[in-house]
Amino acid sequence: MHTTYLNAVGDALREEMRRDPNTVMFGEDIAEFGNIFGVTRGMLEEFGPKRIRNTPIAETSIIGTAIGAAETGLRPIAELMYADFALVCFSEIFHLVAKWRFMHGSKYRLPLVIRCAMGSSNGAGSEHSNCVESLFMHAPGLTIISPSTAYDAKGLLKSAIRSDNPVFFCEHKQLYQTKEDIPDEEYTLPIGVADIKREGSDCTIVAVGLMVRRALEAADILAKEGIHAEVFDPRTLVPFDKETLFNSVRKTHHCVIVEESNKTNGIGAEISAILMEELYDELDGPVARVAAPDVPIPYNIALEHYCVPDAARIAEAVRAQLAHD
Amino acid sequence: MQYSKEFLRKLYKDLLDARLFEQKMVDIYALGKIPGHIHSGVGDEACFVGTLATRKEGDYIKPTHRLTGAARLAGMEWNDILAELLGKVGGNALGMGGVLHIVDLDKGLLGFSGTLACDAGIANGAALKIQNTEPPVDNIVYLFFGDGTSSRGPIHEAMNMAAVWKLPVLFICDNNQFAISTPASYGVSVPNVSVRAAAYGMPGVTADGSDVLDVYEKARSLVEGIRAGNGPALLECKNYRWRGHFEGDQCKYRDASVTEEWMKKDSVAKLEKILIDNDVMTQDEIDAQRQKVDGELEAAIALAEAMPEPTVEDLYRNLYV
Repeated sequence: MHTTYLNAVGDALREEMRRDPNTVMFGEDIAEFGNIFGVTRGMLEEFGPKRIRNTPIAETSIIGTAIGAAETGLRPIAELMYADFALVCFSEIFHLVAKWRFMHGSKYRLPLVIRCAMGSSNGAGSEHSNCVESLFMHAPGLTIISPSTAYDAKGLLKSAIRSDNPVFFCEHKQLYQTKEDIPDEEYTLPIGVADIKREGSDCTIVAVGLMVRRALEAADILAKEGIHAEVFDPRTLVPFDKETLFNSVRKTHHCVIVEESNKTNGIGAEISAILMEELYDELDGPVARVAAPDVPIPYNIALEHYCVPDAARIAEAVRAQLAHD
Repeated sequence: MQYSKEFLRKLYKDLLDARLFEQKMVDIYALGKIPGHIHSGVGDEACFVGTLATRKEGDYIKPTHRLTGAARLAGMEWNDILAELLGKVGGNALGMGGVLHIVDLDKGLLGFSGTLACDAGIANGAALKIQNTEPPVDNIVYLFFGDGTSSRGPIHEAMNMAAVWKLPVLFICDNNQFAISTPASYGVSVPNVSVRAAAYGMPGVTADGSDVLDVYEKARSLVEGIRAGNGPALLECKNYRWRGHFEGDQCKYRDASVTEEWMKKDSVAKLEKILIDNDVMTQDEIDAQRQKVDGELEAAIALAEAMPEPTVEDLYRNLYV
């Protein structure tokens, strides 16, 4: 079926809600309104008000509710409207969700998913444009998924809902309306397995979320110059599929890491450190990072576009890498 | 006497278990047997014991830092409690959780966050499970918090959401009048936390936190309404923290003579007088009960001390399923 990323997410939710009566969903404006992007439209009518619940604007309580529901036998899917709002309940996610089982013991399982819409989206401003994965990568106990395609979003969300570990699931706003063919029949994708989105021999581009599309555009540009970039999409940031990345870098010997968030302490900092520590001998040059400059994402659209990496910047970083040869 | 002897004996057993455990923690902390910090709940017991006397099978409890002995009230064995308290691998969290996380899900204990109030919403989650259960059940969730925690946002978010969803939650404020050094008279904007219930459209009542029967009666009336499907309620148990926030706190911020006056309102002494006056128990039986509990605690401490420490491998055992 030819479908959007948004509908793929919605279908994953619907299929899992039908499959398991213990699944419940709650969040701000998800019931009658069907979520501000339309992801949950029609779900109140199908599953009823006990399983599809609007919450007040109360992020700390949304996460607390997810914990209490999960440990007592439900499979809650909690929605935080924007990833930015995950910082309102940062403590609840960082201290409680991530550590609950560690602090309380093996009887305590949290089969919960926290979904949020993230990323820049043309003028949403400094508090509605953030990508927050790297903040939560510092919280052992979480699983963090950030899919870049409709196919990945659907398969991984279904696995996230079935997982007995708490999952932080990031959906990119600018990807919601992207379309692709996905299987009609039911499928899931394994958590913790990366995907090579494009094969190449000259340089590995690690990209996440919206940046995967931009990395693929960059690879197209580079191909015309005779440079064959490989695009590595981790899909799951925690647990991180090191082996697939290492195999890619063993082939290309170069790596450029692209992320939408600020450069300092970002995803790229972590992945490049892993490569330095564990695969140094395979590198023919320093790992490069392409990221937003260390400023808040601005409201002005031209400057927003300047901050968020595009294909040209990624291609330029790859060319600079290869100049080390 | 409106209570059965059996009920009063059980109430006393719980009250004494809590008292002697909270006191024993202080004693062995002074001997260096407990890592980190403890927050003794000596003096605060009646709030928990009186409220939980209304509990029935299938109810859930979200305790606080100030009554570690709540684990005992929920039904945990001394040996299990002491194992986690001493940070041993035999504890419920392999010694990784410690004093604030002595719990057993099978006894209805939902867990606790040391980042106070962040766990408020958890009661709503368990209540959601209860509310979605078919066929319907009349179980409830007991959520304990202190007067200091009553100032935090997540408590207000949780009370509002519980009222919006008509969840079966009893919010219980153990108001011992101190948030570390800050008195409730300064840090809480109203004389009684219970009046805030009105802001969420739920009933709110203040009980004498030094009188276990007063707490029980007020809790019982609120719990009845919650079990009947009327939605959440707020019970405040007003009392006074006998010891410091943590052991070693000299309490220089308050007048020791005021503390001494409050300590005369001892919930255990009050109940013992009722038991003796009404021929429920004799002084000898009371003394024997005290000795029995003390012996149980000493045995559990010895057992926990002999337990192995967790290993580096244990660090990773419960991180993921």
